[in-house]
Amino acid sequence: MFKRMYAILFRRTIVADVVQAIIVGGLLAFFTANRIMGLRLFSSMPRSGFSGIIQDFFIGLALVFITLNLILDDEAKAHQTTTNGWNTIRQCNQPGNGILMRAACAKYLPMANVLQEAAYWTTTVDSTGRALSGRHNYVLHFPAGQLPPNNAFWSVTLTDVRNYMVPNPADRYSIGEGSGLLPNADGSVDIHIQHTSPAGHESNWLPAPSDDFKLWLRVYLPGAAILDGKYNVPPVVEVKG
Amino acid sequence: MTHMKYKHSFTFLSVMIAAWVLGTFAFIQFSLQPIVNNLQQLLTYLSVIIVVWVAGTFALIYFWPRLMLYGIKRVLTQRGGDANSSSGVPINTLYAVPNRASPLATSKILTTGTDDVLYVFGWLDLSKGPQVLHVPDFSGRYYSVQFTDSSDGAAFAYVGTRTTGTQAGDYLIRGLGWKGQMPSGMTQISSPNNSVLVIGRVLVESDNDLSTAYGLAKQIQLTPLSHWQPGQ
Repeated sequence: MFKRMYAILFRRTIVADVVQAIIVGGLLAFFTANRIMGLRLFSSMPRSGFSGIIQDFFIGLALVFITLNLILDDEAKAHQTTTNGWNTIRQCNQPGNGILMRAACAKYLPMANVLQEAAYWTTTVDSTGRALSGRHNYVLHFPAGQLPPNNAFWSVTLTDVRNYMVPNPADRYSIGEGSGLLPNADGSVDIHIQHTSPAGHESNWLPAPSDDFKLWLRVYLPGAAILDGKYNVPPVVEVKG
Repeated sequence: MTHMKYKHSFTFLSVMIAAWVLGTFAFIQFSLQPIVNNLQQLLTYLSVIIVVWVAGTFALIYFWPRLMLYGIKRVLTQRGGDANSSSGVPINTLYAVPNRASPLATSKILTTGTDDVLYVFGWLDLSKGPQVLHVPDFSGRYYSVQFTDSSDGAAFAYVGTRTTGTQAGDYLIRGLGWKGQMPSGMTQISSPNNSVLVIGRVLVESDNDLSTAYGLAKQIQLTPLSHWQPGQ
């Protein structure tokens, strides 16, 4: 119930757009009607003169922030590619980007490296599209020879959904190239992402909080397959049982 | 519809305007209040909202990267480069953050930083003349120094493993309108702006490697060209 209300009020879906737009449009209609008629109930609200103009100014500003968020969200989405639940924007902070792209990048990837220096992916969902949560156990499985190609290093960092690292007993916040990952017998690599330490797989454990979280994959000096857009990050798969 | 680039903006704004117009008529229709204001006042009301709305949206989109970076500049120069610092980082100096990102040491500059690298932060003002960036010998270790234009957020130049290699070096960063003599044998970086954010990243291999990495990060330094001497 609350999850549905939250989704309708804050997630960017067409249903949410319509519901939010009717609420905001209704408020604007109320202000406009109040100006025209002077509804007695709200007679203390300014209807004309200087204080009325100030009120109009702030209504205009509220519309600016709503419109700005909508446009920059749309712009970022248009440049974002999603594969196996992992999102990435490849064009950020390149010299020569258009005005809308610059603004969207300043909002979503401020001060990030250009793609040639580092590639970034984020995900908040598993392979079935359900939100990542410490209530479940996950494995990120890189088949043999398919670790992220690079000329520097790669890592997977875990944060909460507000992008802050979460304290954990292992004092480990990322895992990757330099973490002493142990490969499987066939050369593939499993990263175990869960709240409690996975018995027998401690060296490949990325500790998760007890609730929702987000993963970041960074690849510094990405290899040709990433620059060409041919490399796909494998999905984060929930382990049952 | 699902492939339309601005579908959420379009849906929201068209429904909102429809609800605004229809809602206004509905309020008037179902209310028994007399109309007290004249049409001219209504037009003033609507024109103020629409002018602020349209002009404000264009202006904020255009200035967004600049506003974001000036926010960063304020934090960096007044409050410092990391969670524990108590004083700001002066203009035209670099500050190496001594520890890696963790829940206790979240950078004031980059909340989404990685703990694979040590960060170096600084703000350049090139209006009084060029600066010389010195980097030590990183002996094959990954590092980068990223230069970000404060007007549009573009990372317009890099010094580091990818672009210049890991050997020690000096690089001249030149702002707009500088016509002076360039010291011979120095690589030159032309900045499209006199205000530049500098972000350095130095790879940390492990906890044991932290002090070595920090020692190197601290040696990434700036000197005004007017004070610089070769071999310094």
